[in-house]
Amino acid sequence: MTTKTGPPTVHTAQAAVVGAGPAGLAAALELARGGLDVLLLDEQPEPGGQYYRRPGPEVLRTAGDHRPEGANLISRVRESGVRLLTGHTVWGVDDDRRTLLAVDPDGTPVQVRADWIVAATGAYERSVPFPGWQLPGVVTPGLAQHMSAEGVRLGRRTVVAGSGPFLLPVACALLERGVRVVAVAEAGRPYAPGVAALGALRFPSRLVELASYFARLTRHGVRVHQDTVVAEAHGGDHVESATLVRFSDPGRVVARHEVDVLCVGYGFRPQSDLPQLFGCSMERDPVTGDTVPRLTPVGRSSVPHVYVVGEAAGVAGAPTAVARGRAAALDILAGCGRVPDHRTRRAAAVRMASLTRFTRLTSALYPSPADLVTALTRELPGHTLVCRCECVTADTLREAASAPGGSDVPAIKGDTRAGMGLCQARECGPALEALRTGGAGTGTVPARVPLRPLPVTAVLGFSDSSREDS
Amino acid sequence: MNTFDAVVIGAGVLGAATAFELARTGMSVLVLERGAPNREGSGTTAGNLHIQAVHTRRPGQEVPLDSEGLLPAQKAADTLWAEAEHRLEADLEVRRNGGFMVAETPEQREELYTKHVWEQRAGLNTELLDGDTARAALPLLGPTVTAATWCPHDGYANPLKAAPAYLAAANRLGTRIKAFTPVTGLERRGSGWRVYTPDGHHDAPVVINTAGPWISEVCALAGVDLRMAPVAIQMHVTARERPVLHHLVQHIGEGLSVKQVTAGNLLVGGGWPALGMNLQGRSTASVESLAGNMAQATRVLPFLAGLRLLRMWAGPLAATPDEMPVIGPVPGQAGLYVAGGTYAFTFAPLWGETLSRMVRGEPTRIDVSSFAPDRLTATCGSTDRTTSAHTEKGTAPC
Amino acid sequence: MADAAPRVPVTLDGRRVLVRSGTSVAAALLEQGHWNFRVNRVSGQGRGPYCGMGVCLECEVTVNERTHVRACLERVCEGMRIGTGTAEEEGT
Repeated sequence: MTTKTGPPTVHTAQAAVVGAGPAGLAAALELARGGLDVLLLDEQPEPGGQYYRRPGPEVLRTAGDHRPEGANLISRVRESGVRLLTGHTVWGVDDDRRTLLAVDPDGTPVQVRADWIVAATGAYERSVPFPGWQLPGVVTPGLAQHMSAEGVRLGRRTVVAGSGPFLLPVACALLERGVRVVAVAEAGRPYAPGVAALGALRFPSRLVELASYFARLTRHGVRVHQDTVVAEAHGGDHVESATLVRFSDPGRVVARHEVDVLCVGYGFRPQSDLPQLFGCSMERDPVTGDTVPRLTPVGRSSVPHVYVVGEAAGVAGAPTAVARGRAAALDILAGCGRVPDHRTRRAAAVRMASLTRFTRLTSALYPSPADLVTALTRELPGHTLVCRCECVTADTLREAASAPGGSDVPAIKGDTRAGMGLCQARECGPALEALRTGGAGTGTVPARVPLRPLPVTAVLGFSDSSREDS
Repeated sequence: MNTFDAVVIGAGVLGAATAFELARTGMSVLVLERGAPNREGSGTTAGNLHIQAVHTRRPGQEVPLDSEGLLPAQKAADTLWAEAEHRLEADLEVRRNGGFMVAETPEQREELYTKHVWEQRAGLNTELLDGDTARAALPLLGPTVTAATWCPHDGYANPLKAAPAYLAAANRLGTRIKAFTPVTGLERRGSGWRVYTPDGHHDAPVVINTAGPWISEVCALAGVDLRMAPVAIQMHVTARERPVLHHLVQHIGEGLSVKQVTAGNLLVGGGWPALGMNLQGRSTASVESLAGNMAQATRVLPFLAGLRLLRMWAGPLAATPDEMPVIGPVPGQAGLYVAGGTYAFTFAPLWGETLSRMVRGEPTRIDVSSFAPDRLTATCGSTDRTTSAHTEKGTAPC
Repeated sequence: MADAAPRVPVTLDGRRVLVRSGTSVAAALLEQGHWNFRVNRVSGQGRGPYCGMGVCLECEVTVNERTHVRACLERVCEGMRIGTGTAEEEGT
């Protein structure tokens, strides 16, 4: 461990964009085009976020580039004059509620001061615990996607399970790497023709995409089970098999498959803790159960100089993320007197509205995440490790939730240590919130500082003496 | 049932301990809590068991403690913490492994010598060490430490376990606990009190106000101006570490306390001021306090610089103008008692027992007359109210 | 196709192995069939990468004596020394 205690590196810019995924890249590009001095920060070694995440060029040459449009956007950002700070983890906001606090790849503290902040911190996968989910070999579909894109054959046999449209391309990516996908299990019934599904007809390209995934899965003999969830992963040191049950009738076993990799995920959750640290007004999305910032249509939060764009504003997919990034940038440019072309702004608004309709239609196909998490958590056997960091079982949590006099989410955490480990409840959070039986008090896990575990040395630079030096 | 022998307002560690002690004597007790039990001061505190004398309570504190005057209570608290787990039949993660209080400057060394004399006088066993001897005893101490006192009685307990265990034990003895139930009025009824809540009222001859940051607001409901004000401070915790530090480490001249909790995390505090107090939601921790606290912590215990900060949080404590605890009957308000102020966690078992004995007219374990609330009270309207935090409406904003 | 990729030597738990250049450390380890990245201190059980995007911290390994490096966010490079199987508290 390095023990540097030097003063922080200070960066100033007119606009700082946090997160170099589709939304952050689009926002940074538009802001730079408008003539602003822009800093773009990301904790990954390369820009792209999760959606446009790119391995090294030598891997792309051999494994192929499955999202070449990402490379295009990234190179335009690089050419636009945006200052790119990769490997920088933003962990908090200073006491002035304006300055971003980060740490660079060497562990040196970093301060970023900007007139405008664009939080494009993306999303991460919504996990719902089940017995055995902590076994090596049990992964999120996102991990399977990334590893496949890096050319890794993750295992020999797998089941891809959870809910949402993302499961299909992940299953296809695994197939492409030579992994045998024995089943795809979707908790809902999105793939039966129905009233909701018909709406997708207005977006034929989307239907074509879904159909092509289906065709590939069928060609490989992959069974797509609907109304089906993983009830348990079995194994000693590594996952060996998975039991699938009916979501609507958890007592009914659908299948038990031998696997060496199991991919389970229930869609994505906005990573909205940075806006919370800025003091932005937040609300609970009743459909997803997620905490999201209250925003104007162009992404301005209740704190006027803070915008939230992309998946952090509410999960809606990469095209929407790009549109949101652009819309926020245009609004910022207007706000600093660099009025963009009226037609540009109008086109951005129309594009956003169209994408929003599409997002609503797509999500209507799948069960509401809030309902899913509640139902799945209710069925959890008592021995399930709900908090995988601190190894807290469902039994322990249920007991804490029924403490004499009443309880709420922070009380359950305090009583059991659930959510107090390294991931700070990012994985077990939805389940913790669902295990609470309702009633008064706090129903959500609040944002915590630092946003990632932070070397102690990275905060020493912010003590009084260092402040005077800088 | 609407009538109880006692109503306790506030389900922090003081209220919980008091409810338990009252229930043990066969009294029927109701605990009313505006939010979740053990949430604010009690749930955000460090959990230190301060047995050796302390000088500075927190950075920016205007008045020094009457450290010598606090020693008898600290000694008594030590005795009670020794038996707390047994009495509650619960694991509170009590660790009474002793603690060091360090000094770096010549002035701080002088203060150590002075307080060591008080400790000898009070019959509290502490040992004065020079820097090298202290480092020999605790090699983790850094080179800037030039002296330390060692007290084998210092320790810590898990504040997330203590109040819930007291509440659970009280509950087993028949105590009713109503969380998320704010007290909206306190009214004299014959020789007792009527306590109003949004769900209805409860009558009891005895009302005990252990409302922590809301202690003055609850007093105001009875027309009493109690000069206390909440102050928000913050704590910092590292990721888990293998067991390396078995003692409490404090600083004589600066707000600093460090210990390793049972789970392995290092807890660093010392009363550094939070950025913002929010009694309706969550208080906000300050980055400047974080940096300042960690800078001194890594100076005194350099190994901390190799660890990772996992989380920080802030919470309120109830401060008295003289920085001393408050406990006892409210003058002119028969049946109304208060307890709170300095080191409420350390003193929780003692104040619980003391209140229970006061209520029943029995002699208390130690003389607490110097902590009596009369030094802080006046009838509402007759004194300057600027230091009190209660609302104009006279209702607690719970 | 993956076989055509250039390879670089790294040291994995003291053992010299060849891995594809340009991948994440997580990918390099998984390609070796190495799934136990760290040990959970509470249960003592092995853990492997889970989220793949830096949130779960289950993939923390030691890289060139730097502890707690998220393998999913770190690229391999020639001569890298990678250590696995440690608990979260080890490294001081």
